[in-house]
Amino acid sequence: MSDAGVIHDIGYQRYEGPRLGRSAVFGAIYQHGLRAAFGLGRSAKAKIFPWLVVGIVLLVAVINAAVKAQANIILFDYFSFDDTMSWLVIFFVAIVAPELVSRDMRSGVLPLYFSRPLRAFDYIGAKFAALATAVFLLLGVPQLIMFLGGAFTTKKGASGVWNELLDLLPGWGYSVLWALLFASISLLVASITGKRAFAAGGIVAVFLMTAPIVGVLSILPSSTSQHLAGLASPMSLLTGVQAWLRGRNDLGIDVGDFGVIYGIELFCLVFACLLLLLARYRKVASL
Amino acid sequence: MSTVAYITARGLFGRRRVLLLLPLPLLLIGLAAICRAYDVDPGQWGQAVVVGLGLAVVLPVISLIVGTGVLGSEVDDGTIVHILTKPLPRRDIILAKLLVAAGVSAVTAAVPLFVAGLLADSVRFGLALVVGAVAGAIAYSALFLLLSLVTRRPVLLGLAYILVWEGLLGRFVSGTRVLSIEQYVISITDKIAPTGMLDGKVSVPVAIVMSAVFALGGTIYAINRLGSFSVAGETS
Repeated sequence: MSDAGVIHDIGYQRYEGPRLGRSAVFGAIYQHGLRAAFGLGRSAKAKIFPWLVVGIVLLVAVINAAVKAQANIILFDYFSFDDTMSWLVIFFVAIVAPELVSRDMRSGVLPLYFSRPLRAFDYIGAKFAALATAVFLLLGVPQLIMFLGGAFTTKKGASGVWNELLDLLPGWGYSVLWALLFASISLLVASITGKRAFAAGGIVAVFLMTAPIVGVLSILPSSTSQHLAGLASPMSLLTGVQAWLRGRNDLGIDVGDFGVIYGIELFCLVFACLLLLLARYRKVASL
Repeated sequence: MSTVAYITARGLFGRRRVLLLLPLPLLLIGLAAICRAYDVDPGQWGQAVVVGLGLAVVLPVISLIVGTGVLGSEVDDGTIVHILTKPLPRRDIILAKLLVAAGVSAVTAAVPLFVAGLLADSVRFGLALVVGAVAGAIAYSALFLLLSLVTRRPVLLGLAYILVWEGLLGRFVSGTRVLSIEQYVISITDKIAPTGMLDGKVSVPVAIVMSAVFALGGTIYAINRLGSFSVAGETS
């Protein structure tokens, strides 16, 4: 070995073509994540669980639309649809989030990812965007079906369709909030362990164990604690935000004058989860 | 057989993930203690804490993590082969694993449930919860042990059972309760210590018989499955 190391040019052809940058990597991870969320491009076994959830949700939406059209009974509106489907959303993120992040850790490909022009922010951003989009599709498409059912059977012509649309859009906005919150929390939990099974169990445990806390806080003999009880659980937090934004008190959670705190916590929770994820991916182990 | 049990227990406790089992029981005790400290009427919080958290979440989730962990993780990383090639009847392997799984989940779930029951009502109610939790832990463990042999994704299937079957359908469709272990636990507990908190939806004989069917059926079928177990490669 010589004193000064030299890299010899042994005459391989150079790559002269275009080099795709960070945005292309971001897009690729996003697209791959979204496809993986529904098991597209994977074996039939990987499709069973996501499509089971999708099937149930779609079925509920179709039944809802049919009952509304035939008997004019409204089972759920666009908002309470999300609330009612909350357990299925938990199940869905418990399936998908480990699929997105735990797999990469398990198979030790993270050093390969980060040897590209890719920052931790891009990796997390793309995975988060993919999961949030998947959850939004899970809730938004059934809401669209409910809208179509309502729009085609309206008896008031164009104004009926317009009213229905004005109901749908806030409903979609609510679904976006669901998607952001559930995606951020579940990704954070899933990024702790490389074992998909344990990640799934952890996600469900985190979401389910918070629900009874709300039940307990809401019966404590203090009106402040009753108003703030919903903050303890992601599901009731979203219901509280809805109650605040729509000015409703009949949703099962009485937010009192603290509505704005629900909004702040929602924002901070999503933000904090993403920051923790960033910190988690500052350094990645090579298996 | 004792060696298999020992290895299983060490595999369960020797890693960091055993800490996953801690927060849920602590939360259960903590909530019960808070309610007690504020002198809230147990009739109000008993149902939310004991049933909503204890029997609907703590017991099944802990049984799921433990029950699929004892065999599923060995199937996952392939070390199951080392046990299978030993001159041991498959029956003994399953029984040893089931014993560890049921024992660990029963202790982890029954102790906080006892404390919560004690704080909510009386020692009698606490002991009734212990009996119910032990019966539930055995039935759940047998079921989840079996799941880890029939499918490669036992945790997801188990979660589907807990969330969709017991949680979602159990609330709306009364027929599914006959096959819900959670309802058996509630019925058995309510029979031993009748309080207003628990509301058993299935009759007690059905609950006892069906718990036994789950426990025995799961065990026997698991022995049968392990008898013809093929070590497959990583799929999907």
